[in-house]
Amino acid sequence: MVLDLTMSMAILALMGALATIAGCLEDLESDVGSQSNPNSQVQLAPQMNFLHRIYNKAISGEPISNGLSAVVGGVVATVLLDAKFFPLAAIAIGAFIAAMIHGIFSTTAYAGRVASQTRFKQPLYMDIMRYTTPSIIAHNFIVCFCLVAIAYVQYVILGYPFTIPFLALIWGISVGAIGSSVGDVHYGAEREFQNREFGCGLNTSLSGRIVRKAESGLRNSIDNVWFCAKFGGPATGIGLGLTVFLSSWPTTIFGYTVRAIIAGLVIVAVMVVLNRLIELQAKNAYGPYKEDKNEKEAAA
Amino acid sequence: MISLFDPVILMDILLIAISGTLICAAVHFIPVGGAPAAMAQATGIGTGTVELAAGSGLVGLITASYMYAKEPTITMGLVLAAGAMGSMIMLASTMLAGGLVYSFGVGVPFASAQVKRDPITGGRQDTYVSKGTQGQGIPTVCFVSGVIGAALGGIGGALIYYVLMGIYSPLITSSAAAVAGVFTMGVFYVNSVIPSYGVGGTIEGFHDPKFRRVLPKDVATSFVVSLICGLVAVLIAGGMV
Amino acid sequence: MSEVKEVPPNTLVLFGIIGGLIGIYLSPYFPTFGALGALCAVIWGAEAVRRVAKYGLGTGVPSIGQIALGMGIVAAMFGLSIVRDMTFAGPIVALATASVIGFIIGWFAQNVIKMKIPVMIRCMTEIAAAGSLVIIGFSAAVAGNFEFGNLIKMVFDNGVMLVVFWFGAMAILHPFNACLGPDEKQKRLLFLAGSTGSAMMAVIGIAAVMTLGRSGAVTLLLGIILWLIFYKKFWDEVYKDAAAVVGTGLIPKTEA
Repeated sequence: MVLDLTMSMAILALMGALATIAGCLEDLESDVGSQSNPNSQVQLAPQMNFLHRIYNKAISGEPISNGLSAVVGGVVATVLLDAKFFPLAAIAIGAFIAAMIHGIFSTTAYAGRVASQTRFKQPLYMDIMRYTTPSIIAHNFIVCFCLVAIAYVQYVILGYPFTIPFLALIWGISVGAIGSSVGDVHYGAEREFQNREFGCGLNTSLSGRIVRKAESGLRNSIDNVWFCAKFGGPATGIGLGLTVFLSSWPTTIFGYTVRAIIAGLVIVAVMVVLNRLIELQAKNAYGPYKEDKNEKEAAA
Repeated sequence: MISLFDPVILMDILLIAISGTLICAAVHFIPVGGAPAAMAQATGIGTGTVELAAGSGLVGLITASYMYAKEPTITMGLVLAAGAMGSMIMLASTMLAGGLVYSFGVGVPFASAQVKRDPITGGRQDTYVSKGTQGQGIPTVCFVSGVIGAALGGIGGALIYYVLMGIYSPLITSSAAAVAGVFTMGVFYVNSVIPSYGVGGTIEGFHDPKFRRVLPKDVATSFVVSLICGLVAVLIAGGMV
Repeated sequence: MSEVKEVPPNTLVLFGIIGGLIGIYLSPYFPTFGALGALCAVIWGAEAVRRVAKYGLGTGVPSIGQIALGMGIVAAMFGLSIVRDMTFAGPIVALATASVIGFIIGWFAQNVIKMKIPVMIRCMTEIAAAGSLVIIGFSAAVAGNFEFGNLIKMVFDNGVMLVVFWFGAMAILHPFNACLGPDEKQKRLLFLAGSTGSAMMAVIGIAAVMTLGRSGAVTLLLGIILWLIFYKKFWDEVYKDAAAVVGTGLIPKTEA
């Protein structure tokens, strides 16, 4: 449909908001289930004799598994839309079925991984399985809902050439890639090794020595997601929100011309500068690591 | 009837081979640290090479296809530029948000372990590498390298899509976008996994010594495989009547 | 403990190819058979991934699944479209093409990129072939037959091909990835492959309800029933294999 500028910007803002929520919840979902890269530490811990009560959900990588949830949600929503369901109901039911499939994959991953660690005597805690899996399903439901909604808006209202499942798949892969790059760092480098001093990378000698004892009782994934929701989740939301919003903003304002491309390039240049500012800020605030500072003074 | 010796068709096959090679090259530019980077143990983005390259390239595909659909008479250059723009914005947003987490959430300065001084800003790197790690964060040179890689990936994906739309639209007008999109995705993944095997999971960007070592053989493999894929794409058109 | 006899690779290759092709060729008569054939191919592909990934792939198992389905979809589209009027030969040509592409990529990976995995070439060929059968089988279950023009209208246009591609990749790579570890057992992996394949069959059934109607409902129901069976068997193996399956508990004391 043909939209005037105000309506286009409103739709774009809606997509940006949905993307921000999807990004935030995607990262939290990968934290409540311990997926992707930080999960390598959770997987390693029993080998170093650190048995734990963390949900070891190893469903490939986040881009692939979120792509799967999104595309299943998209296909079911397409089927229901074809059967003349109301769009909101179709998207919600589609997201629900996708989340259930994701939940099934989670249980098999946790059970399978722990069952393959028999020699390290890692037990399979069924209570962890029982109360964390619904949490995973719930997070994934919101992610799928937002992504399928974005795909629906793009296909039906904005007229993209790709169908809802295809668009949902691409956004699912993107949200997984962004969640894996942004939020997982907060989980992996910060929360998993929280008993180490703040402000350093993970020393290779510490691999596998994750925190297993919490403030009161034993650490589990629900504790981890509580922490990551304070920073890692929102940061991921910012990442995806910026992507969805800014990738369509130039063409909405400037039309399909060279000016839109130049606007896009200017945005990227601004981000390079912003990254440099963050880099300088961190370097000046923290300074170099101690032993090398002495080396510099000795050389002077 | 598609004749394989028609120069236009041969050009199309060559373009598909080139776009596959661009995607392969893009993977080498994007700074990926793999699982260690997610634990602030290595420089770069903490995810897999395949997924980040494919993710940014596919976002580029969305923006490029939208531009192509809205203005069918548009020049190839603008479609490719749209693909590059979408892809670059996605990767830049990702790296920026990641930088926020590294600097404020984990509290580490950005440092590369492969060079003593950042080639672009000149800042010291080795004194800022935390003990027992291979660098952390996304220094400026990695950021710029990533943006270049994203641009190449976006151009590659948009180029395949443009060429395939040119071949398929006269034959199956309404479904051309769907078939071209699926084929592009297949070629994308094949051409992202090949360099990831060569790179071995982590690379810091164009300043990394590994870059010069593995790029030639990965690009050679990719060119051959994409040439085959291009040939297959044209022959598939022969079956659409 | 006595060594459990593993199912030999060649048995699974035959199971995958013959089961897959029979299912695909029966699909014009009853589309659900296409899904059943693809299920056989999924089990074959998952086991092939197991054989190559056991050597330690470096970049991980997921990329193997992606490349398999990437090759599979290129080969499937090529095989089904190139045969034009002789639709009967389509799946065989697709299978052959996928095997050739898989062989070439495996050869390059082994000899140019120097991955140094003995079974790389054979397994890459098998995975690509399994991928193509998975795609054709499930697409036939949604489209009603495996004729390319029909596939474009019923599977590509509405976006269902994407779920075949993606869920197919997951179905092949998830079983080994989920069972990764030193005490991985083939029997558990095969049941998990069956479970994942049946879940895919159920989702394909939902899509087929839109395109085909009643046979889609049959695919959906059969998928759910098979999933229940395989999932229960998987859990039986988990209970047998795990060190301990406890309702709740503290972390047991170890020598650390």
